[in-house]
Amino acid sequence: MIAEEKLKILTNSAKYDVSCSSSGSGRRNAGGIGNGMPDGCCHSFTPDGRCVSLLKLLMSNDCVFDCKYCMSRRSCDVPRATATPEEICELTVDFYKRNYIEGLFLSSAVHISPDHTMELLVRTVRLLRTKYRFFGYVHVKGIPKADPLLVTEAAKYADRMSYNLELPSEKSLKLLAPQKSRESLLLPMKQLQRERAVFRAEKRKGSFLPAGQTTQMIVGASPERDGQILRLTQSLYRANGLRRVYYSSYSPVVEDSLLPAVQSPALREHRLYQADWLLRFYGFDVEELVPEDENLPLDVDPKCAWALRNLHLFPVEVNRAPLEMLLRVPGIGGRSAQKIIAARRYTALTFEHLKKMRVVLRRARHFITASGKFYGEKNELAVRGLLTAGEHAERAQQLSLFDTAALSARTGEL
Amino acid sequence: MIYFFDGSKDAFLTAFLCAFRDEDAYLTTGSRQLSLGQQSVFVPADRKRARRCAQRLTSFDGRCMHDLDMLLRSGEAERGQTAFCYFRLLADRKRPVRGEFAEDAVRQASECIRRVGLEVHRLKGFVRFMECESGALYAPIAPDHDVSDLLLPHFRARLPNIPFVIHDVRRSKAAVWDGEHTFTAPLARAEIALSADEAGWQTLWRQYYASVNIPSRERLKQMKGYMPVRYWKFMPENPSAVVDAFTAPPASRAGSQDGAPRPHGSAQ
Ligand code: SF4
Repeated sequence: MIAEEKLKILTNSAKYDVSCSSSGSGRRNAGGIGNGMPDGCCHSFTPDGRCVSLLKLLMSNDCVFDCKYCMSRRSCDVPRATATPEEICELTVDFYKRNYIEGLFLSSAVHISPDHTMELLVRTVRLLRTKYRFFGYVHVKGIPKADPLLVTEAAKYADRMSYNLELPSEKSLKLLAPQKSRESLLLPMKQLQRERAVFRAEKRKGSFLPAGQTTQMIVGASPERDGQILRLTQSLYRANGLRRVYYSSYSPVVEDSLLPAVQSPALREHRLYQADWLLRFYGFDVEELVPEDENLPLDVDPKCAWALRNLHLFPVEVNRAPLEMLLRVPGIGGRSAQKIIAARRYTALTFEHLKKMRVVLRRARHFITASGKFYGEKNELAVRGLLTAGEHAERAQQLSLFDTAALSARTGEL
Repeated sequence: MIYFFDGSKDAFLTAFLCAFRDEDAYLTTGSRQLSLGQQSVFVPADRKRARRCAQRLTSFDGRCMHDLDMLLRSGEAERGQTAFCYFRLLADRKRPVRGEFAEDAVRQASECIRRVGLEVHRLKGFVRFMECESGALYAPIAPDHDVSDLLLPHFRARLPNIPFVIHDVRRSKAAVWDGEHTFTAPLARAEIALSADEAGWQTLWRQYYASVNIPSRERLKQMKGYMPVRYWKFMPENPSAVVDAFTAPPASRAGSQDGAPRPHGSAQ
């Protein structure tokens, strides 16, 4: 059994990684323990509102790199620990069996060298899959600058891998994470994308990253605007086939003249997640959402902002509008759009019906008619005023998508 | 008229036949005393009539018996009436009505089913097994709805080599995987001898749970929304203890973990 103190050090340094989702893999149990649940599964929630799905651990926090923003960096004086592959496998299996977790999220600082670290990670996941016969979810962080062969090897055992871009531009990366480069992060991403495509095309046996790749960016530590970040996001989704891009608000804990001294607002991160959502599920293109050198508006969510800029397209009649258009109406989420489509086959829908179907009429009424009736404001300023006021009232209880990675597929509707 | 039935599928279907044409019918599994002063009748299950009724309803909508199964699992007091209204509409229309969300009866039934399904979904995450001396696993639960056996396929698929018991202590019944079969059985109390390592793993889990929390961002409301307090009592991570440490006045918080600053990109 791993020592309590060691576990504490290795989780404390891993917990800020925001990607915790256990979704995307339907790995079958082949006579051992565990399997994948394609929708993911939350096993617990901590008082910070986040879901506990995977056992998030660092293999080691003893780093030879010196990224300015990181507490595990070489020049920082913190307690260090390194786990053995056996310790990690045992912990994973015994937690899993008791249904504490859905699987393992294994990451590491660069211990001794990138190759040495990657080798340790590979050894751990191989052991876990072969000796311990574990078929639950495994997410492995890729170590930049490690041998590409080791990267391929890890992908044979993992459900998902991720290289964190951390900073949205090469320039910021150079400044704040001098030992990393855009290349060292993008190359392995592309390598894995290529190999996964070949694997699928040839219908080979076994599996190769069934849950794909994700990445994470720190927002607010460097000067890039939301427009630039989201363009990068869109290209990661479209050109690199990433499953998720996560954003993490910068907060100043390390004093350094190169880092801003202020916390990046949580609301900015929230807006990025909302925009990300629109890119992935609502058929939006980044060009429709925000110009390259601007941030998303903070006063209203990006879907409302888009609708306000395009008032000439509204109101739409809920009894006739196609799904793509319903999805673009503020206040109508994915689930209510589907319900509307199903229900209107039988009867002409009225506002009363919509309300019962949980459409947020406070927002939607300005953009729709129901059986010809319109109850909204027509004037842009009035609409904007009402939407902003409502937004303030709501925000107090609004969910941050960041906190609900695994559940957000159900709750992140705009 | 109030129609009492025992909560079983057959009894519901029998009662449905009796009540179908009664405009003021109210179907319930509640206790009969409640009906003082009102006309009421207890409808015992009649298997033959129930089967005929089921066939008829199924001919209108092939999936409706599954709906009924879910509705009757609900722990909500109005489940009988919710099901009755839904099936009366189905019988009226003589075709599937599940998409007609403009109808109250459909919406209420679908929401009731959704709540039962949600609890199954939640429990897939919230069930906590303990390891017994024999190596078998034991998990007590006290769900709102009668769902313990719905959890069997899920856990059986992921733990094929480990026998386990999911014990609904509220309904005194157990859902069991013995390594060869799944079944349910009445079970009032269970005597459990825990394995030697069990306490150690629970301690590690508690430790992990406490250290993975980020105390500087308190979102208790959200936490409780996703993981309602009623599920906490069988969780060894003991969320209430962590929440208490959290909401305690700052002076007594000295031992909390968040002295550690936030290591941003702490890993690759
Ligand atoms: S390489 Fe990773 S662990 Fe090491 S200092 Fe940089 S971010 Fe931190």
